[in-house]
Amino acid sequence: MEQLTTIGLNHYLTISAFLLGFGLFAVMTRKNAIVVLMGVELILNAANINFLAFSKYNGGMEGVMFALFVIVIAAAEAAIALAIVINIYKIFKSVDVSSIDTLKE
Amino acid sequence: MHSLIQLSIVVLLLPLLSFVILIFFNRRLPRRGDFIGVGILGTAFAISAYIFWSVIVQTYDPAFRIAWDFTWIDLGNVPGVGPLQIKMGIVIDNLTAIMLAMVTLISLLVHLYSTGYMAGDKNYGRYFAFLGIFTFSMLGIVLSDNLFAIYIFWELVGLSSYLLIGFFFEKQSAADAQKKAFLANRVGDIGMWLGILILYSQFHTFSFEQIYANLAAGKFGLSHGWLTAAGILLFMGCVGKSAQFPLHVWLPDAMEGPTPVSALIHAATMVAAGVYFVARIFVVLTPDALHVIAFTGACTAFMAATIAITQNDIKRVLAYSTVSQLGYMVLGLGVGAYSAALFHLVTHAFFKACLFLGSGAIIHAMHHEQDMRWMGDLRKKMPWTFATFTLATLALAGLPLTSGFMSKDAILAGAIGFAKVEGGGIYYLIPVLGFFSAMLTAFYMGRQIWMVFFGESRTHLKPADDHHQAHHAHAAHDAHSDDHHEEHGVHEVSWNMRAPLVILAALSVFFVYSPDPLDGGKGWFMKMIQTPATVVGEANHQIGDLRTPHAATALAEVVPAVEATAAEAGEHGGAEKGAHTYSDVRQAEIVHAGHGAHYTAIYISSIMVLLGITMAFVVYVFNIIDPEKTAIAIRPLYLFSLNKWYWDEIYEATFIKGSMLIANILTWFDTHIVDGIVNGVATVVRNFALLNDGFDRNVVDGMVNFTAFTVNTTGAMLRKLQTGKVQTYVVMLLLAVFGYFVFYLTRLIY
Repeated sequence: MEQLTTIGLNHYLTISAFLLGFGLFAVMTRKNAIVVLMGVELILNAANINFLAFSKYNGGMEGVMFALFVIVIAAAEAAIALAIVINIYKIFKSVDVSSIDTLKE
Repeated sequence: MHSLIQLSIVVLLLPLLSFVILIFFNRRLPRRGDFIGVGILGTAFAISAYIFWSVIVQTYDPAFRIAWDFTWIDLGNVPGVGPLQIKMGIVIDNLTAIMLAMVTLISLLVHLYSTGYMAGDKNYGRYFAFLGIFTFSMLGIVLSDNLFAIYIFWELVGLSSYLLIGFFFEKQSAADAQKKAFLANRVGDIGMWLGILILYSQFHTFSFEQIYANLAAGKFGLSHGWLTAAGILLFMGCVGKSAQFPLHVWLPDAMEGPTPVSALIHAATMVAAGVYFVARIFVVLTPDALHVIAFTGACTAFMAATIAITQNDIKRVLAYSTVSQLGYMVLGLGVGAYSAALFHLVTHAFFKACLFLGSGAIIHAMHHEQDMRWMGDLRKKMPWTFATFTLATLALAGLPLTSGFMSKDAILAGAIGFAKVEGGGIYYLIPVLGFFSAMLTAFYMGRQIWMVFFGESRTHLKPADDHHQAHHAHAAHDAHSDDHHEEHGVHEVSWNMRAPLVILAALSVFFVYSPDPLDGGKGWFMKMIQTPATVVGEANHQIGDLRTPHAATALAEVVPAVEATAAEAGEHGGAEKGAHTYSDVRQAEIVHAGHGAHYTAIYISSIMVLLGITMAFVVYVFNIIDPEKTAIAIRPLYLFSLNKWYWDEIYEATFIKGSMLIANILTWFDTHIVDGIVNGVATVVRNFALLNDGFDRNVVDGMVNFTAFTVNTTGAMLRKLQTGKVQTYVVMLLLAVFGYFVFYLTRLIY
């Protein structure tokens, strides 16, 4: 319990795990493509927290650098993903991921 | 090269030229080129007449002989045999000169006659082309100096005969007749070829001269029986070509050809080629072979004469009389009456050609009626034909003052002499049959003259359907029959058909051949054609075996002439001069005895001929004996004669049925055994293929299909995982990660 009273590595990891769980939940259950995208962002940020936490307790700067990269890439990813979503909307008049299964045919 | 040889080559090739021109160009020539045929034959005859004149009239030498040859095929030095060459050449002796003139003359006359008889026929040009190739082949036989060349030309005349018999080939009977003639001739020719091969195997030469020289020198390596066999086999060629018993059946059927062809080929020249050939090989014939020949001739002469009595077709009567006369010639050669037989060949050629052309004129005038029963009273309407036909008939019957009388009696005298020399007995059968045939000949020719030229015209008696049939049969070739239907009167034929009749009839009178109407031996012919010395050696006979006591006299009398040829043979073959063999003496004796029997023969034959004519008068002129009642009274004999001794039926039942039977057996063998083997192999192969097919379908295809099926099923199963929903995949990803995690932890723990 003492470990929980002071904020340590486990607190970060726990928050990160919850964040990952919420992200996964959103990705798996929501039908709206934009919400799914938001779930992905949550997962990426859970990873970021992990990088930073480990970086702080390991004493190096590698984790921080990786987190920065992830943020940059996530921004790019979000831009591309939103462009895709707009195109999907143009074609299918919907952003419901379950209805976009043309390739299955 | 002797100038006569050169001329004879020209004569030989002229008809070939006529054939080539006419067969290719007749349709482009005016009148279908008939003037070319006649013109070329006229030239050939003119040259032949010159050769005849030079040889017979100018030279007048019984031993005249010139020859020329060249190497045709040089086989070089054949291992085990020595150098082999096949030569071709030409020989001209008295016989050749006479035959040359005779063949070209008759051919010319037949060409001329055909311009009238065949006018309007649709194949007019082709007809003259065929006459050309026939004349060429016949002249080839006459001129050849070796057996090989003779055999080639022999087959060529067979071919031309075949083509001309079947000239109206639209008619089934003509097509059948040509096949029959060809097949019957083939039987004889096979024998002839075997005979040639026997001689060739011994001497390696085909040349007459060398064969005789070698034989005379005693170089024949086989036994005497083989020589007899060779002679009889060579004679078989004559049996086929000259329509001797038992191969005579084709000649009467050959009358399906155009009548001028019957005159040229089937009466005057080609059928005489057989006799000519036997005369050429006369010196190699042993006494035994000569006996066979004599009996064959006698049987033929008698049999054909009995058949001729009852025939109603004008051409068939003449055809059987031809067979009968050819029998005489062969008989003459067989008994050793060499000159007489050849004399008869020539005289017969002229008067028989005249008879056939006369019958052609009658048939032409009667609108293709050939049945004598519907003729009658043509004497006044066709005086020229009547006169010439009668004259030729008298010659055929053998009445004095005609050529036929001299030649026939010379043969019969020879036959009596032969019978005497051979010692009588069965050998007297030959002259007896000969005399009997002479009587029958007089009878049936009297009957023919009466039925055709005298009495009432019986045209209207002909049954209607018969009439119709005859017209129908001739419709095929009778292109000009239409205008005949319109003018139905019988009339004399035109000049180009009449002239040949007159010329041929003129050549049937005695003074053409001999100044003495009773003795042909005093004439130029018998002096020019002397019996050659035989070259066959001794067999089991000795000169002493001869039964007649005057062998020496005979030799002294006859031998000088024989001597000349013997001496000539001696120069080539090295036979001892003056050494007489059995055969020589026998031959000399026969000639001697023949001379002795000359007047006997004349008396007997004149009596027989008069008897025959009297019988014809009794039956047909005075009607003392009614022919129809007689026919009923002796019905079996009548039918026997009418049906030609049933030879056609016998051959039908034996050879034709026999070959059909063999053919059927072979067919059975083919369909059952040979086809059976083939089908069996096929079945085995087929079953093996079926087995293979099953393996392919079930095993190989099964494996392929199973693979496909597996892949297909797997694919179908996996396909269900591919939902197309990204979230499902994410769940799966998660599950996989979770699964891996569990797996990893389990590994970690254990």
